[in-house]
Amino acid sequence: MKLFTKYNRISIAATIFTFVLGSIAFYFVLDYVLTRQLKETLRSEQFEIIHFVEEHHTLPEIQNTRHQWITVEKSTTILAKPLFKNAETFNPGENELESVKQLAFTIDVAGQHFLITVNKSKGETEDLLKLIILVTVGMIALILLFNFIINRKLVNRIWQPFYTTIDHIKTYHISNRQPLQLSNEPIEELNLLNESLNTMTQSIHQDYQALKSFTENASHEMQTPLAVIRSKTEMLLQENISEEAIKQIIGIEDGIQKLSRLHQSLLLLTKIENTQFTFNENVEMSELLSQKIEEKKELFESKHLTIEKNIQPFITLQFHQQLAEILINNLLSNTIRYTPENGIVTIELDEEKLMVRNTATENSLDVEKIFQRFYKAQQNQEGTGLGLAIVKEIGRIAGFQVQYLFHNQHHIFTIYFKQ
Amino acid sequence: MKLLIVEDELALKESLIEYLSASGYLCESAANFNEAVEKIELYDYDCIVLDIMLPGGSGLQILQYLKDNKKTDGVIIVSAKNALEDKIKGIELGADDYLTKPFHLSELSVRIAAIIRRKQFNGQSFIEHDFFYIDTIAKTVKVNNKILDLTQKEYQLLLFFIINKNRVLSKNAIAQHLWGDDMDYTDNYDFLYTHIKNLRKKIINAGGDDCIKSMYREGYKMMLS
Repeated sequence: MKLFTKYNRISIAATIFTFVLGSIAFYFVLDYVLTRQLKETLRSEQFEIIHFVEEHHTLPEIQNTRHQWITVEKSTTILAKPLFKNAETFNPGENELESVKQLAFTIDVAGQHFLITVNKSKGETEDLLKLIILVTVGMIALILLFNFIINRKLVNRIWQPFYTTIDHIKTYHISNRQPLQLSNEPIEELNLLNESLNTMTQSIHQDYQALKSFTENASHEMQTPLAVIRSKTEMLLQENISEEAIKQIIGIEDGIQKLSRLHQSLLLLTKIENTQFTFNENVEMSELLSQKIEEKKELFESKHLTIEKNIQPFITLQFHQQLAEILINNLLSNTIRYTPENGIVTIELDEEKLMVRNTATENSLDVEKIFQRFYKAQQNQEGTGLGLAIVKEIGRIAGFQVQYLFHNQHHIFTIYFKQ
Repeated sequence: MKLLIVEDELALKESLIEYLSASGYLCESAANFNEAVEKIELYDYDCIVLDIMLPGGSGLQILQYLKDNKKTDGVIIVSAKNALEDKIKGIELGADDYLTKPFHLSELSVRIAAIIRRKQFNGQSFIEHDFFYIDTIAKTVKVNNKILDLTQKEYQLLLFFIINKNRVLSKNAIAQHLWGDDMDYTDNYDFLYTHIKNLRKKIINAGGDDCIKSMYREGYKMMLS
């Protein structure tokens, strides 16, 4: 539910409640005033009659109207004081039963007691009540109508800057080169939101930059000592040394190799994130892919892998030559490394996608984690754990969709060129 | 052959000088920018091994200096940075090759040899060693005047061995030379053993000596005089 809908509902309920309550109160106040007026009329009628009797010692001739009529009857009892009451009586003028206000009093005319009842119709009060209900219902209807119109036409416009901000946040990626730069808004709350977001991304951005340059520098700084170690082990190998010593040195060599590769991969990742690549090269994907497969022929052969190729010729992409090479390299290396001996590797390329599928002995890899850095399905594996993270990252900046599927005991990696 | 090694890391410089001197090069060295410029002004080198990040200036400035002064020294950049822009900028400024640290000395040696071969004009595209005769332009190898029928990888392998003759070359160094940086199979060297075995067989069949010696399958050495 939208905030405004929620607010609107509460607001409308409160308004309707207030209106009903107000109308009820209004009714009672009016009723009170009108009743008093009615009594006043009845009383003045009483005085007129009393006055007439005192002066003329006879009852006045009674003039009935449609809304007011008087009945006179002889009475034996005497009312101590005039009596007001509500009653349903027959209105001779209208010829129907009517709800009336009555004033009954007794009067002594030449020794004879008369009970005089003055009736006044309450029709007007009822009309009033009807009117008030009508007005109330009308007002509520109007409120709902206006709310609907405001919701439709105005609210979306008022909230537009908010949604603009949300869109910006959605498309914001920490590796974007710029922190968020949201505009100033005349609405205080939106402005506060925008300013806070600007400040927040600004500081995140700075921290991130610092972290990135740290990664980059650290990796660079480590290459030189690694170069020293490698050159020294190479010199050591030239000495006249025992088999055991040679094996130890080669062990060191392996370590250097891994460390160096790890650094290079990390650097590459940082570089992909840091650099604004322009994808304006026409990369001959078919040719490049075939060439890379050829280069790795021995590696496929060494594990007795069967390659099934289905490469459509002349597939060209608006891409980046070096990134394309890295992408293909990493996918192929990954496949060679994780396909079991004597397995089958299928490589397909067409206008839409590049797909690499290989047989698997194990179950599906963790789809959530497979593209994460340093994720390895088994800890003893030889790779850097960065290959697929690099593939994913290249895909991200190039606007490709990189997908992993496990189907029929096959790992399937697909890169969709168009999203 | 005269080399200038411009490298500020002392320990690395020492190894470079030791390895390359033993390969028959005359090595001079410079540990910072000014020293390097001074030497380059005074002498001509067949090849300069150039670090990019130097105390006192950038290796790229040295390249610019060489270019401005129309010096024809061969240059191989050795840098901790694997940055593509540096590579492109370096090559644009006239560097002949680019090697990222940490590199194998044997790899550097092969690249230097290739640069020097390219720089020299008359006839030096031939390498002669014992019973080997290699034409590096036609990429043909003769053993005792018999042409060896080598695959591209075997040819590369042989050249790598000959240039680093009498050196123990680790399997890592060899694999990386043949398959480049994306060769990361420290767990499986079978394909390497196969290539070496085949090369060995071809040399012996052509009447050459069994000169490739295995060092417990961890490394190999080509024994030539």
